[in-house]
Amino acid sequence: MQFTVETTPAYAEVNGSGRLNMVAAPLLREVVAAVVAEGNHHVVVNMEGTEFMDSSGLGALIGCLKIARQAGGDLRIANVQPQVKMVLELTSMHRVLNPYESVDAAFPHA
Amino acid sequence: MPAVPNNRRAVIVEDNADIRRLLVQIVSEQGFTVAEAETGRDGLELIRAGGADLITLDLNLPDLDGIEVCRQVRAFSDAYILMITARVEEVDRLSGLETGADDYISKPFSPRELQARIGALFRRPRSQPVDAVPGADQERAAEVQRSLLPGEPLRVQDYDMAGRCRPTRNVGGDFFDWCATDKGLQLTVADAMGKGMGAALIAATVRAVLRSSNRHADLNQAFAAASQALEWDLAQSSSFVTIFHARLDAGSGTVDYVDAGHGLGLHLYDGGLRRLPSGGPPVGAVPGSIWAAGSLLLAPGDSLLVLSDGLLDAFDSVDAAMDAVAGVATVRESPEEVCDAVLELAGTAVADDVTAVMLRRCPPEHTEGAQ
Repeated sequence: MQFTVETTPAYAEVNGSGRLNMVAAPLLREVVAAVVAEGNHHVVVNMEGTEFMDSSGLGALIGCLKIARQAGGDLRIANVQPQVKMVLELTSMHRVLNPYESVDAAFPHA
Repeated sequence: MPAVPNNRRAVIVEDNADIRRLLVQIVSEQGFTVAEAETGRDGLELIRAGGADLITLDLNLPDLDGIEVCRQVRAFSDAYILMITARVEEVDRLSGLETGADDYISKPFSPRELQARIGALFRRPRSQPVDAVPGADQERAAEVQRSLLPGEPLRVQDYDMAGRCRPTRNVGGDFFDWCATDKGLQLTVADAMGKGMGAALIAATVRAVLRSSNRHADLNQAFAAASQALEWDLAQSSSFVTIFHARLDAGSGTVDYVDAGHGLGLHLYDGGLRRLPSGGPPVGAVPGSIWAAGSLLLAPGDSLLVLSDGLLDAFDSVDAAMDAVAGVATVRESPEEVCDAVLELAGTAVADDVTAVMLRRCPPEHTEGAQ
């Protein structure tokens, strides 16, 4: 799984396509930690191309959320695919990691 | 001569008979027990069958490319791999290292140089790859996991129960547990994040903490105490665990439960199936969470069925999985048969653990012993 980052004045968008699993999870953490360390405290993970997420992938998202919040910002997710949505709902994590319909909708007033 | 500990096994994979003999001799002198193979496939078989601490691998093999052999070895072994190559181009050297080889040496080489390289390899500390669970760790994790499962079902009058857990080769963190209480029993199904030894150890901790929590008469209080005890450990390992934890009052048929991000507690009644609402996130995911207990009444013939999410991998949606589970549960008689059928639904293609635990309140004809 490869990640790309685009920054706008309002937020940084992290894009990842493929399977967010045990292999990809540490990479996502590293990417988001670097983005936040550069001063982008508002992060959107665009999950349009993330077809699958397992518990390690969910763990990475939770870890990234903590990183952003500790820096005084937030992390939100957008364009969530059906399997990822299922994992979020099953674990009740959709209340904490609420999926947004689009990247723009994630930080509308930022 | 560089010191290499005894009782180490080396596998030499080299198609040229003269060079192979030379390699066997050099490596034997360093104290290795040596096996040799002429082709990549034979080499892989030797390594799979007997393991290896050191592998010397020729890049130009008659069947598989040496790089491909290296890649395949890395899927299951963290042996030191020394590539031996006549191709001196930089690209080959790089790709040899990227596939997981530890070092390379170009032909022609001197015996002294080869021994020095091997000695240097074994002085290096071995770091664990993050994306692979080494074979020995997997086996230990599997043992830990098996040892967590209860042996025999509890005998509680008017109730039947069964539990099945099918761990995958990449051991996950699934487990189930039950123990007797004054009023009936308590039952737990949990799934720790990730795979391997780490997940199995977290599962072991969760089991112990929940077992000891039954000294609290109130379930909310018991779960709050248990989750508080676990949160610190889970935060240290950046991990979390989904838990379905229930207590049965056998006399009334009341089941009080806490669902922490598990989401797969099911009430089976009269051929119908209802998913029990979850009370909050997994333990460890959101520090400071509080979970509200839910309750259901098992009428005679009703069951509580708790699954793990491994089953869902075989279906397109939770609803499709629930339909299939309801289908098998209505035509099977005993909890054992239902649990077996649920594991069969998951099939063998599912890469996650699959767990099913069922507690059934016997239908009236059973309890009265009539017919």
